[in-house]
Amino acid sequence: MKDELNRLDQLSRRQFVARAAKTALGVSILPIGAATRTARAAGGGKAEHCIFFYMSGGMTHMDTFDPKPGAETGGQTKGASTGVAGVELAEFMPQLAKRFSDIAVVRSMTQKTGDHRGGSYWMRTSYEPRATIIHPSMGPWAQTHLGKMHDTLPDSVVIGGGGEHPGAGFFGPALAPLPIGDPDKGVQNARPYSGVSEDLFDKRLDLMNTFDDSFRRKFQTDEVKAYTQFYEETLKLMKSEDLETFDLTKEKDYDQKVQRYGNTRVGKGAMLAKRLVSSGVRFVEVVSGGWDMHNDLWNAIPQTGGQLDQALASLIDDLKAEGLFEKTLICVGTEFGRTPIINANGGRDHHPRAFSTMFAGGGISGGQVYGSTDDKGVAVKENPVEPKDFNATIAYALGLDLNKVVYSPSGRPFLVAGHTRDPKTDEIVTSGHPVMDLFS
Amino acid sequence: MKNRTLNRCFLLVLAGGVSLAMSSLQAEPRTWTSSDGRTLEAEFSGTAGAGASAVVKLKLPDGSVIDYPVSKLSEQDKLFVKGNLPTDPAALAAEIDKLVLNKLKESYYGLKEELAALPQKADLTPAEKAKRQEEIAREMEMCVPNQMTNDNQFLRRIYLDVAGRIPTYDEAESFLNDRAPNKRAVLVDKLLESEGFVMRMYNYYSDLLRIREGITMMGNGNLKVDPYMEWVKQSIREDKPYDEMVRELLTAKGKIWEEPAVGYLVSDQGMRMCNLSNTFTIFMGTEITCAQCHDHPFEEVYQMDFYKMASFMGETETSARGGDMMMSGGSDYRAEVDRMNKVLKDAGKLRPNQNTDQNLGQWIGTHRTQVVDSGSNAVKLPHDYKYDDGEPLAPVKPDTYFGDKMDLSKYETPREAFADWVVSPGNPRFTINVVNRFWKIAFGLAQIEPVYNIPGHLDGQAQNYELLSFLEEMMKDLDYSVKDYFRVLYNTQAYQREAETLTPSLTQVDKGTYHFPGPILRRMSAEQIWDSLVALTTADPESVVRRGWDDYKAVMNVDFSSLKSADDILKWKQDWSQASKLVKYNGEVVSREDTVGGAQMFRASELRQPMSADHFLRMFGQSDKQLIENQFTTGSSPQVMALLNGEITNRVLTSPDAYLIKEIAYGKGSTRDNVDKIFLSVLSRYPTTQEKSMAQSGMRAKTDRDMNEQQKMQAEAMAIGNVIWALVNTREFMFIQ
Repeated sequence: MKDELNRLDQLSRRQFVARAAKTALGVSILPIGAATRTARAAGGGKAEHCIFFYMSGGMTHMDTFDPKPGAETGGQTKGASTGVAGVELAEFMPQLAKRFSDIAVVRSMTQKTGDHRGGSYWMRTSYEPRATIIHPSMGPWAQTHLGKMHDTLPDSVVIGGGGEHPGAGFFGPALAPLPIGDPDKGVQNARPYSGVSEDLFDKRLDLMNTFDDSFRRKFQTDEVKAYTQFYEETLKLMKSEDLETFDLTKEKDYDQKVQRYGNTRVGKGAMLAKRLVSSGVRFVEVVSGGWDMHNDLWNAIPQTGGQLDQALASLIDDLKAEGLFEKTLICVGTEFGRTPIINANGGRDHHPRAFSTMFAGGGISGGQVYGSTDDKGVAVKENPVEPKDFNATIAYALGLDLNKVVYSPSGRPFLVAGHTRDPKTDEIVTSGHPVMDLFS
Repeated sequence: MKNRTLNRCFLLVLAGGVSLAMSSLQAEPRTWTSSDGRTLEAEFSGTAGAGASAVVKLKLPDGSVIDYPVSKLSEQDKLFVKGNLPTDPAALAAEIDKLVLNKLKESYYGLKEELAALPQKADLTPAEKAKRQEEIAREMEMCVPNQMTNDNQFLRRIYLDVAGRIPTYDEAESFLNDRAPNKRAVLVDKLLESEGFVMRMYNYYSDLLRIREGITMMGNGNLKVDPYMEWVKQSIREDKPYDEMVRELLTAKGKIWEEPAVGYLVSDQGMRMCNLSNTFTIFMGTEITCAQCHDHPFEEVYQMDFYKMASFMGETETSARGGDMMMSGGSDYRAEVDRMNKVLKDAGKLRPNQNTDQNLGQWIGTHRTQVVDSGSNAVKLPHDYKYDDGEPLAPVKPDTYFGDKMDLSKYETPREAFADWVVSPGNPRFTINVVNRFWKIAFGLAQIEPVYNIPGHLDGQAQNYELLSFLEEMMKDLDYSVKDYFRVLYNTQAYQREAETLTPSLTQVDKGTYHFPGPILRRMSAEQIWDSLVALTTADPESVVRRGWDDYKAVMNVDFSSLKSADDILKWKQDWSQASKLVKYNGEVVSREDTVGGAQMFRASELRQPMSADHFLRMFGQSDKQLIENQFTTGSSPQVMALLNGEITNRVLTSPDAYLIKEIAYGKGSTRDNVDKIFLSVLSRYPTTQEKSMAQSGMRAKTDRDMNEQQKMQAEAMAIGNVIWALVNTREFMFIQ
């Protein structure tokens, strides 16, 4: 009666329990560790890094990347010419419109759920939220597939994220993206407390080591040793130049750059992301809110849209100037679009049926629009792209193997862009597919 | 050995105490029946032992007395004796100790034999032999019971395990100076009755049940978690029998501010299948999630079993619609809401292009979140069901796949039948699950790991089957009193031994061959660290509790027809927003001066659930309350940086005004003992001579002759601050030995 095909051959019960036991004992791999890069899957794109702009709240497609000036649902938003006949961005994105030859816009995104958390979860993980597991987000997926990129820097960083980020999911805390709340402040507690001199700091460490000596000699368990190692690694990190990477004020021409990127969360987030990527961080997510425009949309969009436009345009310019543009994938995502019908309060509500995303750099062929919506912006007219396809596109650009199966500690199989079972072979295969038209 | 004899004597005294009650039983000979049907004429003359090794003393017609195992009696005779079995914690603890020691011994000799036979093993290479030899030596070392803890070690551990934090200076002093021989048992009793125990167990339950602000998976910011939180805390406080508590969680219905226990089902709003998996994991230590999509790969759980079980909950809805909403706010709330929007608009209280008020819509949504029994079963087989015992999308009748079969006709809803099945004595996994989980709380490692995946056929796999079944019987005999169960565990010598200095191997954990020569050395949980830091800032860490939500109930149950004018509505809106968003402490909105990362220094169980992702508590592994037991105790650089450079060790604990310095070092006794007092506060022990002189030399270096008293004290206080900083950064502080 047991279905043999369903057996997880790759993972015996023995291994499964051993993994669980590891968790039970709190033994885990150090998050700071030497680079362990492995070869990338064949056929991948050119991106070594990714900067993912997450527009939290549901970015209105109607007033950013898919404007419908003149249509009854278009509202007050006018178009901005891209230089390509028949293609306009919204007037609030003038800088990107000028750089249209560098970007690719996807106008046919579609999504199943209209709630913020569910929608963001789908976008970041390719999976439906469940109460029994947390799926990993893209940064930790990339690290799992490709190994660690840099000896001392973390592989992924989330700037300005809230508490609801899936992070490393079932990969565990060791692979969790380093959270940075405020781009200006960098890593929390990275420097000695104000007024604590180097001399005093060292004296305190001496005291600590003396007081702790007999305990550490008595209990040489893995966990105690791991903590002692954390102290050593952290002290090394505090003295290393890597910390400067997170210090935005150390950026060359700081004031002038702030002017260009915008003295805003998203502007400074983009600045820090560029700094991190050029130092060897693989995946940076910049989270920026203010998009949940139920009321008075045209009061808010010039600012919110303008800030994104300014940050992206400056980032593209700088990456190009530093020769990193082709190696760095930029993408813009959000949980859903907003209703074409303008509501009683002058705003737009949640609209998962159709929305827009954007890609640039990292092997993306710019100057194109993929997919489209109908005249009103209500439904996808051609080439629908789901969140799993959006993630498959990122994964492909980074050179990840879309069909590589990774098991959760409870022995369940998962893939980077969602999974399904091939009806012919009964094998677990990817359910998300990269949008190949976007690549050159 | 000596202790055990004492316990035995105690047992006899106890038996004497109940002899009156027993005399009526003793009078007549009666017929005794064994579980396999044999009979014997004898008089009842008492009991001995406890749990699985309990015996009944039977006086035969010839006058001789025999010991007969209670476990081998018929069910009826078991009931006859049950009232006379001891529930005295010392006696039960002694039984556990006996079982632990037996197992350690048995395991030791087993390993010794294996070692002797190793050279002759033909199927192993020399290298494999050498490796195994090393392992055996290590495992044999772990078969020798550790020394008993000294009072300092015991004090610190019992406070952390029972009250969730280290003892304060006063608490440590008072225990260490106590000369009473039974002071450990007395302390266990005291702590089990303390509010600290409620907070500590709340942290455990909230990780297990995933209790979070906004409650539902997607989080409803207007749904207040406080009623549910308080219900859990009160259940712990009053020691509600565990089986009763679980039953209430599974059967509650209504809205959270009316029936707080609905919080459990509402947590998985709209996710019936996940909720079922969670119920199995949490209350039966069984992982059946895989069977939702296909037959379980390792256990005998078929996909059909999953849907049959799910069907018990198939009539339960967590998102009410239409007539089920049982709205307050008047019979026609929608018309009322329209009217109120118009009143607000006419009064110019909405923005020019705004026509509806958001709060009114949110209020409706919040009322929808409740548990309702719909009367129609929503569970069907999945669209891709591929086994031959059912058609895709076919309805499924509720049925159990292990334990008792349930007669649905006896119940009003299938859900009630399910709840009874979960907690019934016929459910082989319910009690095992909880005794195994709670053992882990005390000893740092469960008898069966992982705790959420107890094998279906336990006797064959569990090394420690005797001890586990003893614990299972004991829990039943104790009528599922959580406090009594822990009281027994904490009174065992097994618990009171020193922590193990070796790490059990994964094989030992997997096979259950670590037999507890002592508890495992553990890193404190995030809450234990935080709460211990709280205990270093105040004499009474439990004085502030999150309490007070009556106003929430009032605003939720408002009758809208009473809100006539725009001012009425605005006032209600304000009250509603306050009542839903503000957290009250001791019934008030209060604040403490000391904050870390914006959070007040109150016990973790009273703060936001969970704290924001970048807070100290989360950094050290507080659960995000999204998944069952999602807390962690692994280390990271941000943790170390927080302790080296954060405000807690650099300001809150170490500024000259800090509680430890002002009230303890300079507020109690002689200032010459400052170092002693700091050590006792932070590590619950006194410094060694070397440690003390090192700490003091720091103070002397800071002061010189030319300083006046005030300056001297200031300089010394700073030096004491360095000692505190150093102590909080030790592994000795971070780990529970």
